[in-house]
Formats: sequence, structure tokens, C-alpha cells
Amino acid sequence: MQLFLGGTCAGKRGVVRQRFDSPCWHSAYHDCRLETWRMAAASSQCLVLEGWERWIAARLTAELDDDRLRDIMAIELDALRAWEAEQGGEAVLILLEMGRGIVPFAPEARRLRDLNGWLAQDAASRCERVWYVRNGLCRSLSY
Amino acid sequence: MIAFVSGGARSGKSTHAEALARRWQTERGGARYYLATARGGDDAEMQARIERHRRSRGEGWITLEEPFDLLAALDRVAPGSTLLLDCLTLWASQLLYASPLSEAQGIAMVERMLSEARRRDVALVIVSNDVNEGMPPEDAEVWRYLAFLQRVHRLVAHEADEVVQVVAGLPQVWKGRGGEGA
Repeated sequence: MQLFLGGTCAGKRGVVRQRFDSPCWHSAYHDCRLETWRMAAASSQCLVLEGWERWIAARLTAELDDDRLRDIMAIELDALRAWEAEQGGEAVLILLEMGRGIVPFAPEARRLRDLNGWLAQDAASRCERVWYVRNGLCRSLSY
Repeated sequence: MIAFVSGGARSGKSTHAEALARRWQTERGGARYYLATARGGDDAEMQARIERHRRSRGEGWITLEEPFDLLAALDRVAPGSTLLLDCLTLWASQLLYASPLSEAQGIAMVERMLSEARRRDVALVIVSNDVNEGMPPEDAEVWRYLAFLQRVHRLVAHEADEVVQVVAGLPQVWKGRGGEGA
């Protein structure tokens, strides 16, 4: 599993497109729900998952406990790792860096920002390679 | 030679860019120009900010002021010189909100400036602010600005020979002089 992390419009998608041959894109920006990734995975050995902040945002009102929501997201990461091991596939995660600005005024935005940061940590700890994308350039974060 | 230097507010990016421009001028000869995209106007805070930058730059710069027409500014630079452009964030806002030009024309202008600088042997150091790593903007107009600025950043980073991120005064090399980390 590989993680590509970067800010808004940093060029993450372009970098992933250059590095992976015809992957299947499972995107929250195209209204895909996170839990349906298994169906998408059936058609490809390489699965790109993007829009994690939307998948978190969609769960904020149903789960008010941040620790439990963090665990819920981490369970999906573990499921992706298990799929890789069973099917010999590769999961590519694209995550938004959103934690470096001013602390948001709205409580819901603060929760989203926190959970997105924890998800990035949890994803990074499960990935073989972690990359940071900045202005279309890519650098390895894992050693 | 083209270098792209960016970082957060007060990260030391201008100081790094100025040192790089001085080094290039020493190596290559020719004059050293400073292209300010900021205009003093009546804003006292802005005037103080410009004066602080002018003092810290020191002597030996030919200062040009141009809010958005980068090609007109480049026409005033002698071939074989070194030009420091500070900064793209202000240029982008002036292009979007204080010029008759479209976003596409702005992108074309940057492309043309980069290719013309190479053709005229003008060494170019371009400075900008990193503003895209906080929460994504909710306001549509802020989104438009951020998306435009990031398009410019990706273009300049792609074309540049050196790309440097300055953190607390320390240059982190993303491209050139040691290579991209990928």
C-alpha cells in the first residue's frame, strides 16, 4: 500500500497517474462511497482511493466519538491491506494535507481536520511507501 | 537558469532567493534586477513591508515595479542579467482582480515569461507563498484563487531547474542540486 499526501491542488492525482498503469479510481469526488471499494477492486489489481476527507465528513454526524470514528476508518485501511495480501493487488491512497493552516472556527471543521490528520498517521503506519506531493513534485517521506 | 523558491510567511524565502540571485549574478556577470509585484500605494502597512524588504536586500539591485504584466517587466531587463521576481501570490491576486486578463491569459503569460527568460539568457529566481496546506477554502472565490495559484506553482516547478522550499530559513531542495526525492 502506498500513500500520497499533499495540500489542495498540489498535483497529487497527476503524480499518481504518472506512476501507476491504468488503475481503478475509487473517488469520493465522483460520489463513490468508501465501503464499495471491494466492487471496484474486482476489476483491477491497482486501486486508487481518493477523497478521504469526504468519507470522514460523511461519518461525522453518525459517529460523535472521535476515537471510535478513527477506529472505523482504520478498519478500512486494514481491510485494504488484507485485500492486497489475498489478491496480490495494490492500494494507492491519496490524502489531503489540511492541518497546516489556522484552526477552524467551526467545531465540525475542527473534528474533520483532526480526524484527517489521524487518518494520515494511521495510513502512513500501514503503508510501505509514503510520498509528499508539493507543486507537482513528489518526495519520499518514509525511510 | 530558473529557480522557484517558496515557503510560508516569514520562512526566510526572500532572503534565500536574494542570496541565490546574488550568487548567480556573481557567477554569470550582468546586472541584478528586483521585480516587485507589490506597489506601495496609500497603504502604510504595505509601504512599511516594502521598505523592510528593500533594506534587507541591500545595494546593487535595479528595482522594477509591475503588478501583473510580467512580459513588459522582462522587456526592461538586459539580456544576460539575473532577475528576482517577488512574489507570485500577489501577482496572482492582481491578475485575477486588478487586470483585464483571464486565468488562461495569466498562465500563458507565465509560460511565455519562462521561455523568454531562457531565450534571452536571463537567470530567473521566482518567489511565492505556500498557502494550500490548511483546510480547503469554503468560499468559491478563494477556491478560484487557490486553484489558479497552484496551477501557476505546478507550471513554474515543472519548468524550473531548481525548486526549493524554505522552512525556518533552511532550504529544502525538491528539484536540482541533489535531485528530486522520488
